[in-house]
Amino acid sequence: MATILSFAAIFPLNTLGHYIHWHWFYISVANLIVIILMVVTFVSALLLPFPGRRRRKENQ
Amino acid sequence: MTKKAFRPDVDAPEWKGGHTPYDIIKEGTIAVLVIALLTLILAVVFGSPDETAITIKSWSNADPIDFATTALSELNGTSTSAAYGAPYNHNGTSQQIGPLQLAKWVGVRIPINAAQAFVIQPLKALPNEPTLDAGLAKYTSASSSTQTTWLNAYAKAATNMKFVKGQVVVSAPSAGPVPVMINDLTTMARSGALDQDLLNDNGFYTTDYTKPLLFLADGQYLGNLATEQHLGGDQWGMMNETGNYPGQSWLWLYTFWYQIPPFNNSGNGDALVWGVMMVLSVLLLLVPVIPGLRSVPRKLRIYRLIWREHYRDSGGTS
Repeated sequence: MATILSFAAIFPLNTLGHYIHWHWFYISVANLIVIILMVVTFVSALLLPFPGRRRRKENQ
Repeated sequence: MTKKAFRPDVDAPEWKGGHTPYDIIKEGTIAVLVIALLTLILAVVFGSPDETAITIKSWSNADPIDFATTALSELNGTSTSAAYGAPYNHNGTSQQIGPLQLAKWVGVRIPINAAQAFVIQPLKALPNEPTLDAGLAKYTSASSSTQTTWLNAYAKAATNMKFVKGQVVVSAPSAGPVPVMINDLTTMARSGALDQDLLNDNGFYTTDYTKPLLFLADGQYLGNLATEQHLGGDQWGMMNETGNYPGQSWLWLYTFWYQIPPFNNSGNGDALVWGVMMVLSVLLLLVPVIPGLRSVPRKLRIYRLIWREHYRDSGGTS
């Protein structure tokens, strides 16, 4: 049983959460990381060139 | 016949450029596989929230005085659910937006008499309890004013309530059978029997936890645990998760309103926030037909950033 549990989560996050509190702004570190990753993904999708672009240009 | 003027937010110009084949099935399959792989890796590395379920049994064992005090509030009708109104009873105004009595219009769809549902009926289900049976008979046959006198006497003495050797100790000699009822309900709860009794459906698969959840929510214990885990309404709790796991960050706007007046100090906060979100949702749906608002994407010109190659090749004219 212990083997299954330790295999299920290498770094379990069940410890008490970490939060950032500044005036009315109140967010968990985990949520902040996810939001930053989402913004980075969105900006990357805007700025990175489409895959296969070079191949298409060569074919033209 | 005059030609209609081109409307940039509504009309689409005729495409005169080339076409490139695009395999949406291939892209969709790759996306699903990547997400599935990411999910598997994250699950193995970080696991998932695995909090032990909170039950009436765990509550009454962890904090028997809070349980007994809550049981009293169910019996004398002062608990949140006892005085809530629709959909549980007619004892309160419930949620409304100004003159719009939303909950009242829906009506009492889940009728719950708190004293009967949470205290009297469960106690009646206990077998072989002659003292309790006599007390219950005395309580249920007493007049309403006598019951109120007993309950008030118990409530007054309950400020010094103690829990000693598995028994709720309240010195209230003029409270009639109430001390026996509260003590026996606490014992029943601590054994786990009350959890089972409060379930509505008696089938093998139980899905209706309305009564145990209402009872739990009426006490302080559940709220304190939620606050400890940053799940309270005034802690942006709707978008949080237990432990260090990310929560429902997409609910940021919904939970944002609960942090500011008038929503955070109104008894109708839930209905008001729902109303605001419905108005905003309708606005979002109607973006294509709202002049000015529908021009925002065109004026922001983010599309030119996405299709920058096309605009560069075409000289930025199309």
